[in-house]
Amino acid sequence: MSKYQELANAVIKGDTQQVKQITQQMLDAGEQPLAIINEGLIQGLNEVGIRFKEGEMFVPEMMMAAQAMKGGVELVKPLMAGTDMPTAGTVVIGTVKGDLHDIGKNLVIMMMESSGFNVVDLGVDVPVDKFIQAVKDHKPQVVGMSALLTTTMPVMKEVINALDKENLRSAVKVVIGGAPVSKEYADEIGADGYAGDAVVATEMCKQLLN
Amino acid sequence: MRYASKKGAGIAFRTLTAEQIKEIHSASCRILNEVGVIVHHDEAAELLKKAGAYTDAGGRTYLSDALVEWAIRTAPSRVTIYNRLGAPAMFLEDSNAYFGTGSDTLMYIDPAGGERRPWNREDVAAAVRLVDNLPQLDFVMSMGLLSDVDKRMIYREQYALMLKNSVKPQVIIAEDRSTVDDIFAMAAAVAGGKEKLMHQPLFALYTEPTSPLQLPFESVDKLLAAAEYKIPVNFACGALAGASTPVTVAGTVAQANAEALCGLVIHQLKNPGAPFLYGYGDSPLDMRTMQAIYAVPHALLLQGSLCDLARFYALPSWGYAGCSSSKMCDEQAVIEATMFTLMGALQGCNLMHDVFYIESGYTGSVELLVLTNEVISRVRNMLQGVDTSPEYMAVEAVKRVGPGGNFLGDEHTARHFRETWQPDLSDFNSYDAWAAAGAKSMGQRAREKARQIMATHQPVPVSAEAEQEIERILRDAEKRLCV
Ligand code: B12
Repeated sequence: MSKYQELANAVIKGDTQQVKQITQQMLDAGEQPLAIINEGLIQGLNEVGIRFKEGEMFVPEMMMAAQAMKGGVELVKPLMAGTDMPTAGTVVIGTVKGDLHDIGKNLVIMMMESSGFNVVDLGVDVPVDKFIQAVKDHKPQVVGMSALLTTTMPVMKEVINALDKENLRSAVKVVIGGAPVSKEYADEIGADGYAGDAVVATEMCKQLLN
Repeated sequence: MRYASKKGAGIAFRTLTAEQIKEIHSASCRILNEVGVIVHHDEAAELLKKAGAYTDAGGRTYLSDALVEWAIRTAPSRVTIYNRLGAPAMFLEDSNAYFGTGSDTLMYIDPAGGERRPWNREDVAAAVRLVDNLPQLDFVMSMGLLSDVDKRMIYREQYALMLKNSVKPQVIIAEDRSTVDDIFAMAAAVAGGKEKLMHQPLFALYTEPTSPLQLPFESVDKLLAAAEYKIPVNFACGALAGASTPVTVAGTVAQANAEALCGLVIHQLKNPGAPFLYGYGDSPLDMRTMQAIYAVPHALLLQGSLCDLARFYALPSWGYAGCSSSKMCDEQAVIEATMFTLMGALQGCNLMHDVFYIESGYTGSVELLVLTNEVISRVRNMLQGVDTSPEYMAVEAVKRVGPGGNFLGDEHTARHFRETWQPDLSDFNSYDAWAAAGAKSMGQRAREKARQIMATHQPVPVSAEAEQEIERILRDAEKRLCV
């Protein structure tokens, strides 16, 4: 088995210790940092994605794999000065004002992070101006909003209106989710996308940015 | 009603051993000692501080065992909830089992055409009338989230509908303290004033922590209001095991217990002796679909554990029954709802809600409600246990009938046959008689029954003055909130 394959397998197993060990060995042996990431670590995570879709692996295993990959990336990162770390884009996300449900949002975050997005989490009960400020501060490509209560869904529209008013709307893609939210509602308030679960949410963001 | 499980003999189900109960209590105390909670409410934080709780620089508050055990002793061990006519309706103590619906489902399935759509006021009123009529349902929750009123008025309007369309006690949801105030005022208008309502509660309030270990402002604010008004109240973690609590049953119980006890401490500090309902629930996160799944074996074991803990603490218990993850009222729904209902009753859970939930609480099924009414009726019959007194042992009857005789003609049969369980919807006919009556499935019969009751049942009305007062409270709130 090649070292790259071994590294990918360690990611699939979700074994952070082993991933770090193999990554270090490869670096010591003079392998290229970018190759370690693309052909080892990311290969492993891609395989995890496939196995998840086929029903062989479950979310907690996916999380462990993502963590293991992160362990490897951290070792490689300092050696990549000059070359840009590959990132899928920046996402600012939060649960809207009045709403404290965050389990679903947190899953979306974990899934996006493990797919290479840089995610800024604004937490729960996030007022409109905090979303706006975060867009100004972090210049994300995507703004994500979560609402689990029918009573808090209208805040999503308020955020979109405020983005409009601040001339920020065209700079970002707005995606929304949460159980009472629907594709129709997303269209109605002028959001760019809706997803019913974290896996679809991540894929949708990738598509929107292509 | 007398239950065998109440006597601790006969039919009863215990989930934990005496040792395990103590182990869980210790684990929960350790969580409160060593991990602490975050209290987003100044008054509550102050109450805890005065009582000797320690808050560190990071804002975490740690409770001592002495404080927790003080609160457990101070809270009453039995709570009685009255109906709208002022009669005691639910005795929450020992292993008495009471059942009611759930609140705030998004979708209604019309029993007439099967259409699935958002609830409106007419639907909720009719569904509440159905609960009023079904003999095995003891209390009502709002059932449907109103899509045809201003969003800021939903919980108040729901309460007015519950009050007007049923005499049964209610369990309420409210977004904040001012809603609790208005609902309390509406209830007082029918119950004969606030003082009387404080003495004879007509409704209980549902509040919850945000797990893990956070006490949000609105929840605590409502908890304090309940303490003041002596509204029976829970502080019930809605766990998603594997996400907001540990993935194991014991871990979820230990954490949810810690959260409930922390709520209890704040509640008792505010008003020692105010009525508290001990309970929580778990809809574990399905690790493939990421859905909160209801009524799985894990959830039933959790409920058994909490019932055992409630008896250990001598507090009334709060839990779930009659609910499902299925998308329609099908075989899965009936399996899950029935298992939960039977187990909950055997576990001796005092107040069980969410009967009629399908799709993990996003849809409400009146068909499942009617079916579960029949399940509860069977279960209650069983809970009476086996009477082994001489009259029931029937040796005399056996003597009379003798070898080769027939009990059908004996006086003992005539005396007791009415005590055996009688069906309402279950079919006991011969095939031909069943076919002649239309060859209907149980589901069809349940839907027909639901439709018929919803169209015809007239609840005892509230008085004209009370109705006016309710209207006034609603319109005042509207003026305040919807400008
Ligand atoms: C757990 C829970 C709670 C917990 C929340 C804990 C927490 N830290 O989040 C607690 C106990 C605090 C809670 C409180 C309340 N709750 Co609640 N709660 C739930 C419950 C059981 C599960 C929600 C959940 O986490 N699901 C699992 C996650 C993984 O799914 P999800 O959130 O849908 O997320 C997925 C997708 O939607 C999507 N997604 C989510 N966000 C985003 C964002 C983007 C950008 C994208 C693309 C996708 C996306 O991807 C996620 C992952 O796959 C639901 C019922 C249910 N069966 O779902 C009720 C439910 C949501 N709650 C409800 C209610 C009414 C309340 C309360 C008002 C009750 C009360 N007594 O006060 C309070 C409100 C508190 C507040 N102000 O927010 C109602 C809502 C009805 C409505 N639509 O208005 C529900 C439906 C239950 C019911 N029928 O009554 N609740």
